[in-house]
Amino acid sequence: MKYDLIIIGGGPAGYLAGERAGKNGLKTLLIEKRFLGGVCLNEGCIPSKVLLYSAKVYESAKHSQKYGVEVESIKLNHKMVLERKNKVIKTLVTGIKSKLRKNNVEVVDGFAEILGRNKDGYVIKVNNNEYIADRLLIATGSSPFVPPISGIKEGLAKGYVLTNREILELDAIPTSLVVIGGGIVGLEMASYFNSAGSKVTVIEMLDHIGGNMDREISDILLNTYKKKGIEFELSSKVIEIKDSKVVYEKEGKLIEKSAEKVLLSSGRRPNVEGFGLENIGVEVEKGRIKTDERLKTNVPEVYAAGDVNGKLMLAHTAYREAEVCINNIIGKRDVMRYEAIPSVVYTNPEVAWVGETEESASQKGFDYEIVKLPMLYSGRFVAENDGFDGLCKILIDKKKKTILGCHMIGNYSSEIIYGVGLMIEAQMRVDDIKELVFPHPTVSEIIREVIFEI
Amino acid sequence: MATPVIMPKQGQTVESCIITKWHKKKGERVEAGDLLFSYETDKASFDEEAKVSGILLDIFFEEGEEVPVLTNVAVIGEENEDASLYNPKKVSDNTAAVPENAEISNEVKKEEDVSQETRKPKESLQSSERIKISPRAKNLAEKLNVDYRFATPTGPEGRIIERDILELFNSGYVFTSAAKAEAKEVGNLKDVEPSGIGGRITTSDVEKAKESFKIQKSDIELSAQIIKDETEYEEAPLSNIRKTIAKAMYLSLTTTAQLTLHTSFDASNILEFRKRVKENREKLGLEDITINDIILFAVSRVLPKHKALNAHFLDDKMRYFKNVHLGFAVDTERGLMVPTIFNSNKKSLNQISKEAKELAELCRKGTINPDLLKGATFTVTNLGSFEIEGFTPVLNPPQTGILGVNTIVMRAKAQNGQISYYPAMGLSLTFDHRALDGADAARFLQDLKKWLENFELLLAC
Repeated sequence: MKYDLIIIGGGPAGYLAGERAGKNGLKTLLIEKRFLGGVCLNEGCIPSKVLLYSAKVYESAKHSQKYGVEVESIKLNHKMVLERKNKVIKTLVTGIKSKLRKNNVEVVDGFAEILGRNKDGYVIKVNNNEYIADRLLIATGSSPFVPPISGIKEGLAKGYVLTNREILELDAIPTSLVVIGGGIVGLEMASYFNSAGSKVTVIEMLDHIGGNMDREISDILLNTYKKKGIEFELSSKVIEIKDSKVVYEKEGKLIEKSAEKVLLSSGRRPNVEGFGLENIGVEVEKGRIKTDERLKTNVPEVYAAGDVNGKLMLAHTAYREAEVCINNIIGKRDVMRYEAIPSVVYTNPEVAWVGETEESASQKGFDYEIVKLPMLYSGRFVAENDGFDGLCKILIDKKKKTILGCHMIGNYSSEIIYGVGLMIEAQMRVDDIKELVFPHPTVSEIIREVIFEI
Repeated sequence: MATPVIMPKQGQTVESCIITKWHKKKGERVEAGDLLFSYETDKASFDEEAKVSGILLDIFFEEGEEVPVLTNVAVIGEENEDASLYNPKKVSDNTAAVPENAEISNEVKKEEDVSQETRKPKESLQSSERIKISPRAKNLAEKLNVDYRFATPTGPEGRIIERDILELFNSGYVFTSAAKAEAKEVGNLKDVEPSGIGGRITTSDVEKAKESFKIQKSDIELSAQIIKDETEYEEAPLSNIRKTIAKAMYLSLTTTAQLTLHTSFDASNILEFRKRVKENREKLGLEDITINDIILFAVSRVLPKHKALNAHFLDDKMRYFKNVHLGFAVDTERGLMVPTIFNSNKKSLNQISKEAKELAELCRKGTINPDLLKGATFTVTNLGSFEIEGFTPVLNPPQTGILGVNTIVMRAKAQNGQISYYPAMGLSLTFDHRALDGADAARFLQDLKKWLENFELLLAC
């Protein structure tokens, strides 16, 4: 069977590319070896958000008295949360299937192997059938990085060491949980299991949490988590896992921490091996497929989008990359820009940011000024967040008077941050933003408040 | 109802087409599907059929006229219908092709005397000149976020009017608001590639353009400096050989249609062969056979199968040679010389190697018989020893081909799932496109490549 485009991988990059390609009249085949929706939908963004929302509802109920609401016998039922999670996933996966069908995209379940290229195109084998296409989009995503720590493999085999896949299937809340890695995924899981009643410890190699999150915000987040009872071991390196004990080194000392379960959350690694990339000579650099600004690989008509190119491993980056690929395939010149891609931590409180941090702005030599205000400057935030200040911090390019970056901590920031991304993309100047009308009262008004500080 | 016939848009890059023939006359009846007119781009020709039936009321462009795509070229309708409404020439004289917007066309009507030809946006900016712009146009520029300094004025006395701003907007020069504030120092927008959202020009695009403008400027300043320092040079008369080479090169490039194709081949085989020759040379009494000798030999064997390249192009006829007289370029102190190995197709590799060495030596000494510098049917030139990876050899007319030999570079290839490296040697073939087609030349290169990769088989032939 001959196609205009074969997409390998049905995660965010793959299924969205499929939809857009089909809509543009390309005869498209999508091949997925596990579940449509990929990690994002099945074992990443969406299921974790279901869990976190339950935690948020639970916490709101616990603190409802502050808001004049009296509730009795509050309990978080993890099994019911998991049932709801599965229902949400099912709804969304069904939605993807129907969208693909609507856009005439064929979907094949199975493991795709690139056999090579002949005069008709790229030959892909799935379940002993061969498919041929003029173009390929590699969207094979990524897998959890398993660090070379002694005892980790045994732990995984015995089931007390978990990745993001297994932890979402736990039917009971562990009494204690050690999370290795204080990045976004680690923090979100730590936050849920802490709310659900686990004794949670996060072990992080760096001296701060949240990866490249703004330091000031990350410190506020750390203190908030600590108040909730999560323990943090920063600047600590895990050496060994033995009999559900995690051994780590901190300030030259070896410390042991017992835990019922251990969650591995130390990053992800692009899936570039085992499906025949080498048969067509796709260049892989530092374990990821090398792509240009149009997401083209070194091989003609072969594109790579999503985690597999390792640029910014986020589902929304994958979406946009998928669109850039399809636009270029259909002859519409489009380039990928990574300067205004937002990041979000969906815990309670939420954290969101976009653009440069102080560190990156200084490194790049920008001449910038910082303006910041507590989120309390928003009336709605005060009404809904008793006892938490929050912070909104904006970096302004002194010369161009445009936004370089924005960092927020406080609920709803996840929904607000795209607006700032838009301001960065459109290179709006401070004076332009001052002319925008924000709905009142909303938490988003904090952006306007901060901008008027200039 | 009258229906305009428009010049179709063939491909993304085609901006205008030339009408080559009208198949119907003004006033004639046409049926849908009738051949209406033929037109061509710079590469292809097309026919346009009538899409509706009726009387061909008017034809706005004659045969031979160049028409921008999507412009009305004619009108089909009922008898006595008014076709002038669709005449783009008339529109441009009065109201111009401005979108149907009452406000805008009122303004344009007031400002008359506009010529059609200069409707393209101005690409270079002279910030020093005072810019005349109507207040209405200025407001629109502000609204659309375009920089009016880049507009081409088509209003009276060189004034920018509203439609110029619309033209600028439609031509894609839209800035982000920050970029617009930064754009003052941009000299030329032609090379700016918008990278922003919706194709907007961003501050970084402006930065890049400024940078390239600075470079251009500094080049000019540098040139000016060089001109100033009049004492900083020496003059020397050209040697005869340099004069001859200069004349030949100029003649070659001005009188032929040269095109170069590049390819490369896996040189493992010939390198291995050369190694074996070296090891057994003395034992077998062989010449010191070089890679260049191997190439000369291969060319002498492959050329007879590609007679258009073993030929002379004599304007009105081709002269095909039965034997291969192979010229090869020799670098000498006095300049480039090209001696000929006559009947090379009948000579063994060892003979070719020996003769090539002798001829090169005679060239270097300057004692070569001029007859040995003539009569070649094809030439080989080698810049491989200078580590050149690709170049454009210049033909030696009336020869139809010259092969350039490049250096060896290591390339990767995938075989059975493994990446391996092989020595790749580049070949650059310039040929006279008047004498043969690209595919003919490509076939020769393909053949040569095949034999060089299986060199020992060639020796057996």
